[in-house]
Amino acid sequence: MVVQICIGSSCHLKGSYKVIEAMQRHVKENGLEEAVQIKAAFCLGECTRGVSVRVDEGPVESVQPENVRAFCAARFSKA
Amino acid sequence: METFVDIATRSINKKGEELCGDHVEVIDRGDRIIAVLSDGLGSGVKANILATLTSKIAVTMLREGADIEETVDTIMNTLPECQVRKLAYSTFTILQVDRDLQTYIVEYDNPPVLVYRDGFILPLEKTEKLVHGKTIHESRFKLKRGDMVSVVSDGAVHAGVGALLNLGWTWEEINLYLLELNRVKKTADSIATDFLGVCNNLYGDQPGDDTTILTLKVRDKETVNLFTGPPRDPDRDPELVRELLAAKGRKVICGGTSANIVSRALGRTLDVQLDSMTPEVPPFARLEGFDLVTEGVLTLQKTLELIRLCREARFRDGEDILAREWNGSTLLAHMLLEECTHLRMWVGRAVNPAHQSPDLPIDLHIKLRIIREIVRELQALGKKVEVSYL
Repeated sequence: MVVQICIGSSCHLKGSYKVIEAMQRHVKENGLEEAVQIKAAFCLGECTRGVSVRVDEGPVESVQPENVRAFCAARFSKA
Repeated sequence: METFVDIATRSINKKGEELCGDHVEVIDRGDRIIAVLSDGLGSGVKANILATLTSKIAVTMLREGADIEETVDTIMNTLPECQVRKLAYSTFTILQVDRDLQTYIVEYDNPPVLVYRDGFILPLEKTEKLVHGKTIHESRFKLKRGDMVSVVSDGAVHAGVGALLNLGWTWEEINLYLLELNRVKKTADSIATDFLGVCNNLYGDQPGDDTTILTLKVRDKETVNLFTGPPRDPDRDPELVRELLAAKGRKVICGGTSANIVSRALGRTLDVQLDSMTPEVPPFARLEGFDLVTEGVLTLQKTLELIRLCREARFRDGEDILAREWNGSTLLAHMLLEECTHLRMWVGRAVNPAHQSPDLPIDLHIKLRIIREIVRELQALGKKVEVSYL
């Protein structure tokens, strides 16, 4: 599973740094290093709905530092 | 390869003085560069006025084609007389470098000009000349790549007298120190800041005299091409990519959308370097064929701050300040300060609708303002900047 987090200007200001940090922490704590790859992406084109996150080839979703833990718990899995 | 004449000047004031009694004027007419360092009698306001008048008169008259006799005559007859010493006096050194590096130096009472070539001190053949009762020394020679010319005011020679060193360092020691600096430092500004730092240390941070260095270094021309923002008209995207491919020198893209356009057009992947992410500056990316690819407005804003910090730093050059962090901004600031003599900027003016929010300090006008400020800072360092708007 590849998770791309937008680090464009707008998303950065809305908290990409915290979202990426939280996701990396979640992956490490749950031993998901093999299954989940955290990557940054330049502008995903959905600047109004940041922080933009895209799982594999799926749609661009919106994640905030406040709900990133829930997002990880629901979506990241070993499979 | 083309060469570029890199000029920098730095001063420290005598302790307790608001104004410097040394003054440097530099004029680049395109076909010829004229630089004058003048050291006014005394210190403070009076010295500052004498030195400023002297260097301004010299630079202006020589630029307009006056000869050295007329110029010296005008200076001598214009300077106000010091009431204490009944003298109108200000030393000066004039450097004039033509486009083909033919160099003409006139010296009047400053410590001798220092010239370095191929790791050695280049002795100058000087002709003594009497102009209106003043003895001046003229020399003519041709500079070549790697050469450095430095002029220091006598405050540099006196640094340390009675403080750290009994008799100060000698002119010979200054000569050897600058010779070594020319070998290890690339830019004129880093040589000038390092040298003044040493003088200030010798003075124990309490300069007994105004101290100035004017440094000129013949470097290779280094061009940086910086692309930021997509064109206002999306039909011009291919034009932007063409310009990018044709550009010579280093290539930098600042802006997520522009980077995506280029990556798509060239079919090369953008590889974002997550470990270069810092709370203030988004990570940069690698893209084959480009020297640096970063996010736009936030990285540029931070780059501007770093450039200012380096310019304001009195005795440390940019390398020290920029070594504290490793991200898109420190890399860009380093490239613009140390590896760039000519900057070519392509600025796209497409408006990102998502940025049109009062909560986000990143709209197009802010970016354009940051770019103008960066241009101003770099021009003040003597770099040649050209900006095209798309």
